[in-house]
Amino acid sequence: MTQTITPEIVPERAAGASIGETTDLLVSPRRVRSRGARVRNVLLAVWLPIALLVIWWFASASSTSPFFPPLSRILEEFWAQWIVGPASMQLGSSLRNLALGYLGGALIGVVFGTLLWRFPPVRQVSNPLIYFLYVLPAPALLPAMIALFGIGELRQIALISFGAIWPTLLNTLDGMRGLDQVKFDTARAMKLSPVRQLFSLVLPGASPQIAAGLRASLQTSIILMVVTEMVAAKQGIGYFILQAQTVFAITTMWTGILMLAIIGTAANYLFVGVERIVLRWYYRSRALNNS
Amino acid sequence: MNALSRRSLRWLAPAAAVLAALLLWQLATAGGLFRADQFPTMTDTMIALGKAVASPLYWAAIGATVQAWFLGLVIASVLAIVIGSALAFNDFAFRSAASVIEIFKAIPAIAILPLVILVLGSTLPMKVFLIAFGVFWPLVIQVIYGVRSMDPTVLDTSKALGVRGVWRFFVVVIPSASPYIATGLRIASASALILAVVSELVGGASGIGRNILQAQNGGTAAYPVMYAYIITAGLIGIILTGAFFLLERNVMHWHESQRNIRSNSEGALK
Repeated sequence: MTQTITPEIVPERAAGASIGETTDLLVSPRRVRSRGARVRNVLLAVWLPIALLVIWWFASASSTSPFFPPLSRILEEFWAQWIVGPASMQLGSSLRNLALGYLGGALIGVVFGTLLWRFPPVRQVSNPLIYFLYVLPAPALLPAMIALFGIGELRQIALISFGAIWPTLLNTLDGMRGLDQVKFDTARAMKLSPVRQLFSLVLPGASPQIAAGLRASLQTSIILMVVTEMVAAKQGIGYFILQAQTVFAITTMWTGILMLAIIGTAANYLFVGVERIVLRWYYRSRALNNS
Repeated sequence: MNALSRRSLRWLAPAAAVLAALLLWQLATAGGLFRADQFPTMTDTMIALGKAVASPLYWAAIGATVQAWFLGLVIASVLAIVIGSALAFNDFAFRSAASVIEIFKAIPAIAILPLVILVLGSTLPMKVFLIAFGVFWPLVIQVIYGVRSMDPTVLDTSKALGVRGVWRFFVVVIPSASPYIATGLRIASASALILAVVSELVGGASGIGRNILQAQNGGTAAYPVMYAYIITAGLIGIILTGAFFLLERNVMHWHESQRNIRSNSEGALK
């Protein structure tokens, strides 16, 4: 018990105004050893979702409520709309906006978080402004952005980016501030250039927390993608859902909700997958420390 | 003296930065970088904000937003603490429910907004349901993690001392998990506010979000009002998030996780 790293419990949040969840039920440092145990784990993980789907299927089969159509009809409509139908074009527009907006915001967040860490006076001065922009609920800016830029994809992407910046920026900053001073002394003794230091010490050291920020940014981005489409667009999945609701096409609306659930889950799993590969060294060392 | 001046500098520099930003806003708008129908001047906005503050409608909108925020957060956290603790103590239940919770957490809450509007209308229950649904899943994960990371010695000690049942839940389990819960609540507070604003913006329920949209629809003359409400939304965010941040630091100071962080951050300051 000689490790001096910051405590495992709530590592990043307590020190600053950052947002982000490192806790994730999918990522467990425990390694599964035998094949039997692995099969058991998979079964444990999937039986309940499947059971719930089956219950939904049968409970809704004879449903006459206009709001909750039978699952079988939702799935049929889903096939007709999203797989072979016209709605798949909405999907392309949504995903493009999400990807561009999120990546742009995340990049700005990491770069400016690093700059703020490097220049403490700037950090101190800009702190209240950044905090204000961070806590400002980003959807509140949407009407202002419509007034400024009219309706268009660029504005949607801009708003998604804007919302995605702050969790990443604050977590980057906090992660870098939390680095052990001894490491910098070592780097100085080894005469590492500042650029080398940045790429081989600062960024890797802060990366678990940057990842937490990136994940929070991803969730904000998805919310903003849907909101921008609902309020200020003529295409996209949010527009599709709201349009279906307006004309009271409830089953069609349900397919949109289903599609959004799939997008959200897929984005999350994709993120976890990338995170696992990039931060493999971190999870390994944590597992070693824990055992 | 040195400590005093450093302390005052810590307050003065940010205040000066805010002032500079406001001035920059005024210069950019009055100087013609933006047209008045795109971006109102800072002084116009401040006058609009001053007028709004004097009217009861302004406070009613704030009240509607904060009320939904509060109710949604309370319902979600009670449910999350009860269900999360129950899941954390039973390994089978935990492993079974984990995937379901992850899936629901990944669903953006606003996806169900149109459905909730249809069923409940543009009402307070609609907002509260949306907020509680959106905030519950991340919160319950925090609670499960908090309870599961509890030191087994603490649990064994409490068993040996004969602390059991509901009493153990409140005196041992909840305090042990409280740093996780506090962090979860702070994150939840921010998303709850976002969801409240969205439900007003898209769902038309009364509150800050609807007033922002109404001001935008009201045409160029109402733009200062719109920005006044946007600033208000940010200020509400500062107050609500700040409250949880202080709670986390000041109520949790006894917990070992916070003690370590305290000494770390003090070490970093020198």
